[in-house]
Amino acid sequence: MKPHFLFPYWCRYLGWGLVIAHVPMSMIGRAHGMINPLDNPPTESLFTGEHLFFICTSLVMALGLFIVAFSREKIEDEQIWHVRLDSLRWAIYINYLVLIASLIFIYDTAHILELNLWVPLIFFIIRFRWAIFRLNRSLSREG
Amino acid sequence: MKNNIRVERAIKDITQGDLAEKVGVSRQTINTIESNKYVPSTVLALKIARVFGKPLEDIFMLEDRD
Repeated sequence: MKPHFLFPYWCRYLGWGLVIAHVPMSMIGRAHGMINPLDNPPTESLFTGEHLFFICTSLVMALGLFIVAFSREKIEDEQIWHVRLDSLRWAIYINYLVLIASLIFIYDTAHILELNLWVPLIFFIIRFRWAIFRLNRSLSREG
Repeated sequence: MKNNIRVERAIKDITQGDLAEKVGVSRQTINTIESNKYVPSTVLALKIARVFGKPLEDIFMLEDRD
C-alpha cells in the first residue's frame, strides 16, 4: 500500500495527553479570571493575557484532537484506510449539518466558529474508534 | 464478490494470522474479507492469490449482483 502521511502510533498518547492537559489549564485560567474572549470580545489589541490564554487552551485541545485523529494504527492497512476515509466523510456530513443548523437557529457566529473547531475532529474520532471496535469484536466472536 | 479463502487456508493449513502476516495486513482485514464484509483492492487480492499459488479467479469470484 502507498504510504500516506500520518503521525506515528505513539503520537496518539501525546494527543490524549494534550486533550487532558487542556482541562486543568482552562480551569486554572478561569479561576484566575481569564474568560473566553468569544464571550467578551477584546476591543484593544491581539496577544493580551486573555487572548493568549484562549490561544493556549483552544489550540492545545484542537492540536491534541488532531494528533489523536491522524495517528497511525498499529497495523495501518487498506481496510483501516477505508474506515478512516468513511469516518472522515461522516464527520464532514455531521459538521455541515451542525453548521447549517446553528447558522439558521443561533445568532452567535463567534461560538459557531469554536464549535466548528471541535465537531469534525471529535465526531471523526468517535466514528473511527467505533468502527475499529466493531472490527475487533467481530474477530473475537469468530475466535 | 465472494471468495474461498477459508477453504484455501484449510487446504494449506494456515491461520488467518499467518495469511495476514504474509500479505502485510491485519488479522481483522483477512477476517472481514473471508466473511464477505470487505472487498480487497486488486493488489491485496493478487497477493492473497500468490500465497495460495493459484490464479486470482480461483480464489475470488464475482456474484450475480456485482
